[in-house]
Amino acid sequence: MSARISFLKNPDPCNHLSDYKLRYGTDGYKSFNNLFRCFNDGRIKIKLQGIDIPRCSYCSVYQKRLYICLICRSISCSSHILLHTQLNKGHDIAIDVERSELYCCACIDQVYDSEFDEVVVSKQLIGLGMSVKSGADVVAVRSNKKRRLDSQLIIGSKFLVSPRDRREKWTFPLGLRGLNNLGSTCFMNAVLQALVHAPPLRNFWLSGQHNRDLCPRRTMGLLCLPCDLDVIFSAMFSGDRTPYSPAHLLYSWWQHSTNLATYEQQDSHEFFISLLDRIHENEGKSKCLYQDHEECQCITHKAFSGLLRSDVTCTTCGSTSTTYDPFIDISLTLDSVNGFSPADCRKNRYSGGPSVNATMPTLSGCLDFFTRSEKLGPDQKLNCQSCGEKRESSKQMSIRRLPLLLCLHVKRFEHSLTRKTSRKIDSYLQYPFRLNMSPYLSSSIIGKRFGNRIFAFDGEGEYDSSSSSSPSAEFEIFAVVTHSGMLESGHYVTYLRLKGLWYRCDDAWINEVEEEVVRGCECYMLFYAQERVIQKAHKELSYQVISMADAFPFADC
Amino acid sequence: MELVRDRLVECGWKDEMRIACREHVKKKGRKDVTVDELIRVITPKGRASVPDSVKAELLNRIQNFIVSAAL
Repeated sequence: MSARISFLKNPDPCNHLSDYKLRYGTDGYKSFNNLFRCFNDGRIKIKLQGIDIPRCSYCSVYQKRLYICLICRSISCSSHILLHTQLNKGHDIAIDVERSELYCCACIDQVYDSEFDEVVVSKQLIGLGMSVKSGADVVAVRSNKKRRLDSQLIIGSKFLVSPRDRREKWTFPLGLRGLNNLGSTCFMNAVLQALVHAPPLRNFWLSGQHNRDLCPRRTMGLLCLPCDLDVIFSAMFSGDRTPYSPAHLLYSWWQHSTNLATYEQQDSHEFFISLLDRIHENEGKSKCLYQDHEECQCITHKAFSGLLRSDVTCTTCGSTSTTYDPFIDISLTLDSVNGFSPADCRKNRYSGGPSVNATMPTLSGCLDFFTRSEKLGPDQKLNCQSCGEKRESSKQMSIRRLPLLLCLHVKRFEHSLTRKTSRKIDSYLQYPFRLNMSPYLSSSIIGKRFGNRIFAFDGEGEYDSSSSSSPSAEFEIFAVVTHSGMLESGHYVTYLRLKGLWYRCDDAWINEVEEEVVRGCECYMLFYAQERVIQKAHKELSYQVISMADAFPFADC
Repeated sequence: MELVRDRLVECGWKDEMRIACREHVKKKGRKDVTVDELIRVITPKGRASVPDSVKAELLNRIQNFIVSAAL
């Protein structure tokens, strides 16, 4: 935490600067007031009267960085500035002519003084006075020059807003922006927040890999959801913090799924799946070399696609048939973990099912349940190859290949066809922020079934009985979509984890929250990313947070 | 000059330089770096990494200017 705050503090002045200030105060700065010249893009230079091209007084060069001495106003280049100081005692502080920044010749380095910045910035404000439209622009000018201003500083201009409340928004990571609710569209906003901050997706769209100006479908006038997402990504990362309305995407999605085009609340998970599907359709057509999803190189599948393994074993002879199916998310049953009846408990103990924690359903419990060996009912007898007839069998799921991004969907909405009713399961589900998926991998699950055998199964390849968690099985959470309320009239909220901090995204309202709040929420969709994805994103974001200034239009420093 | 500035920002050169500066500062530690040293280190990288398209456009403009001024 302290590392974040320290960069907002002023660096300490060097001895030479302190000495100068003691002797001359701010008079020296103010005397330069007439010499500043402002430009439209926020730059401010020093312009001496009668001299169009400033040159070094020792060597006449003009191409290098030139500094003008605060005391005697002589101009020196970077090579001769030290000479100037040596020849003239006390002439230590100079101003960079091109950039109006303080330079200490004795320390041979840039130095900073908030009072100098005050003088410069107030000149800039006056210079730009005509083009300032709102407080935001004005604040932008200040932040643009990377002047680390004291938070109490109020320059005597009525345009300036107290920097403190602005700063809170400044320290939000880039890309964090509220989404307006367009009429029960929180289900869409929730999913969008999670997708916008999923590093592989964010990188894909921000690097222009689906550019709305170059998209062939769009130029033909066809609908293209990835293009609408391109608009959204640009808007989210524009640096504008006012809530954004994803109206285009909503409209396009309605046109694709006309049956869902109402203002009623929709299911967030359903929207998630259909959105990814549309992206695959649009992207996949050009990139898909094979028909099946396994080899598809579209962004949806590169990010979310994994492979499930399903083993059906004949209970009589033990022979197993194995199939592989791709998946883009895993739906976990909550109810069974929670409400075991005593009869179920006994059944599970015999078939080696998950240990029942009657008090607290956990995510690992759900995953255990998902990968349990399930006895198929008598009405589901399957044809066994070696027995030659229909036999009772058991089925077991496991994960053959993990995706980069793992979406776990908690089935909270139970629709019973027999009773023609639906209900929502409200029970709290405990989930970890770090998830190790190796116990649910095919290698582990199959291994447990057969004990310690060292041989490959149907081309599994790397099966190791003593495999500790391989690096790609460690996941870290980055987004949680929660649902609160009743089935018909609930509300979706997303919690995002950026650079180790949690942010609550409730439609247009975003604020930082404590970890405990997120742990205690009623999770509906959990978004995990592979450890290395998060670590890489951490590095990328750390550039962005410091350069908040670049989010604003004036792009010079 | 404004054109050069704009082009270099557009093509991401400025950001690349910023990142390079950051890397250097990270390596040396915040207190140990001076502006001059940064300039000394980054200038060759910067000169080398200006995209050819920018160079070509500017050459073109200069040539056109010279031709038109000579007439």
